[in-house]
Amino acid sequence: MRRLTTYLVALTLAAAHQLDAPRASAGSSEALAIVVNRSNPVDSLSLAELRAIFLSSRSHWANERRITLVMREPGEPERKTIVHDVCGMNENQLKTHVLHGLFTGEILVSPKVLATASGVRKFIFNVPGAIGYLRVSDVDDSVKVLRIDNLLPTDKGYKLRVQDQTGY
Amino acid sequence: MPFLDRLLSAAYRHNATLLLFMVFCLVVIVGVFVIRDLGTANFEAQTIYTGSVHGLRRIGELQYDAQETRRATLYALTTSDSNLQVEYADQSRSADQRVKDAIAEYGRQAKQPAETALAHRLANDWSSYLSVRDEVLASILEGSTKEAVSLDLSGGVPAFERVRQDLNEVKVLYDEDALRSQANLSASARRSTFRLIGILGFTFLLSSAAVWAIQRSQMLGAIQLAKLQMEFVASVSHELRTPLAVLSSAADNLADGIIVGNDALQKYGAVLQHQSRRMSTLVDEILLFASTEDSKNRYILQPLQVSRIFESVMSASAGLIQGTDFVINEHIDEGLPPVMGDLSGISQCLQNLIGNAVKYCGNHRSVALCARAAPATSGSGQEVQISVADRGIGIDPSELARVFDPFYRSPRVNAMQIHGTGLGLSLARRIAESMGGRLSVVSELSVGSTFTLHLQIAKGEDSQTVL
Repeated sequence: MRRLTTYLVALTLAAAHQLDAPRASAGSSEALAIVVNRSNPVDSLSLAELRAIFLSSRSHWANERRITLVMREPGEPERKTIVHDVCGMNENQLKTHVLHGLFTGEILVSPKVLATASGVRKFIFNVPGAIGYLRVSDVDDSVKVLRIDNLLPTDKGYKLRVQDQTGY
Repeated sequence: MPFLDRLLSAAYRHNATLLLFMVFCLVVIVGVFVIRDLGTANFEAQTIYTGSVHGLRRIGELQYDAQETRRATLYALTTSDSNLQVEYADQSRSADQRVKDAIAEYGRQAKQPAETALAHRLANDWSSYLSVRDEVLASILEGSTKEAVSLDLSGGVPAFERVRQDLNEVKVLYDEDALRSQANLSASARRSTFRLIGILGFTFLLSSAAVWAIQRSQMLGAIQLAKLQMEFVASVSHELRTPLAVLSSAADNLADGIIVGNDALQKYGAVLQHQSRRMSTLVDEILLFASTEDSKNRYILQPLQVSRIFESVMSASAGLIQGTDFVINEHIDEGLPPVMGDLSGISQCLQNLIGNAVKYCGNHRSVALCARAAPATSGSGQEVQISVADRGIGIDPSELARVFDPFYRSPRVNAMQIHGTGLGLSLARRIAESMGGRLSVVSELSVGSTFTLHLQIAKGEDSQTVL
């Protein structure tokens, strides 16, 4: 009986994944890939470097290209993961941080907000200095996935995961 | 014009069917040629039309997609919504891919070196523009509108202007190519028109010549027939006048009591008998000829032994050679099968041939009457050939084809004062053909003539009741 239940849950997960419906049942998670333009020479970042980028402390890549942040809309699980796990803030704190940075001139351009995963993918494909995030299932060849702390999203111990039914 | 007259006469004898058939064949051939020519011209016109439509559409699409690439990029400048900007960028990239494909297709279909070089230049200029376009798009999406506008003005506008000039040049080359095609089509149409006029003129002339020839041959034929009939009337009158004069003279002498004594009376009786029989034979021949004119099936065919035919012929011809030193040599091959025919018809036919042999034998006063089996000259199997051969004056080769014509008399025999009606051979041939047989002749001038009657062999049940 237990094996049958496990099998049915696995089937439900697979169907949900293929139909781009709610990605997982309560409590499930999926790795969140950090993606950049394919022309970007950077292959790997530490979590600290990633935090600096998403908090706009770092504004340019090593090749002098300006960094353009791509975010999903507030309330999206992917954004929640970045705000919480990378920036170590909640949505309001991040908003305050960005407004403050813009007001003081520390932040030159506010992050670009896109409604869909495909929009994120196309934006990063078109902008050489762009960086964003996508569920692993949304990644394709048009973008490059970065290693975070030398781990790929498929590696064991990768820290960035999307929790679909979290209470942030 | 003797050759032409002979030719026309031959055409008339064959009822002008051959000439008409030749004209018909010619018209059919000309018709096929004209249809083929029209088909070729139509195909050329369709090819040029299809090529023009396809080429115009291709150029139109190329220009539209190039403009669409630039237009979508500029639309992205009009909004600050990143989602819309991404959508415009996507539209611009789709359009530029179509432009790349169209340029590659244009290069593949290039016929002239100028077109190939232009396709290469256009591909390079388009690639240069896309490099600038990508930078402009990146700036727009990054939010650097001023930078994007600056990039577009400094690099995008000149690069796109070069592309536009290339596209104009594509259109100019296409127009030149279309003008050449149009000129070729016009030349082809002119050629077709000239050919058609030439062919129609030639056909008209040939048809007119054929009609003229047929009419002339028919006129000549009618004149010839009238002439033959006049000659026939004169000949018959002459043939009748001689015995009539004798009969009249003998009757006058008898009436006047000049003839006395039994011997003299018997002599006059014999003269009257001979001349009246001669007249009777002549009238019979004319009547027989007239009766065979339209009645091919007047004979009742039945199996006949050749020996029986020979007996009948020899009996009928006895009068011809009676009192002369003329000899008829008979020969029948062993084991000849019975033939199909009418005894009286065959006798009449052979009697005419023997009569001719006697008339034209010259100094060689003998004739050979032979029968033999031989392979059929028409169809398969065997036939029986009964030939009448003399060693007389012979027939000129130029007259061989005409000796079977009704009323025909050779000028040579007329000059030699050999009397006749010109009906004997014609009658013999009609009789032969009425019985499903055939009459042929082989002759050499001053050597002699051989007339052969070809008869069918009786088969199966017919041969059981042989006469």
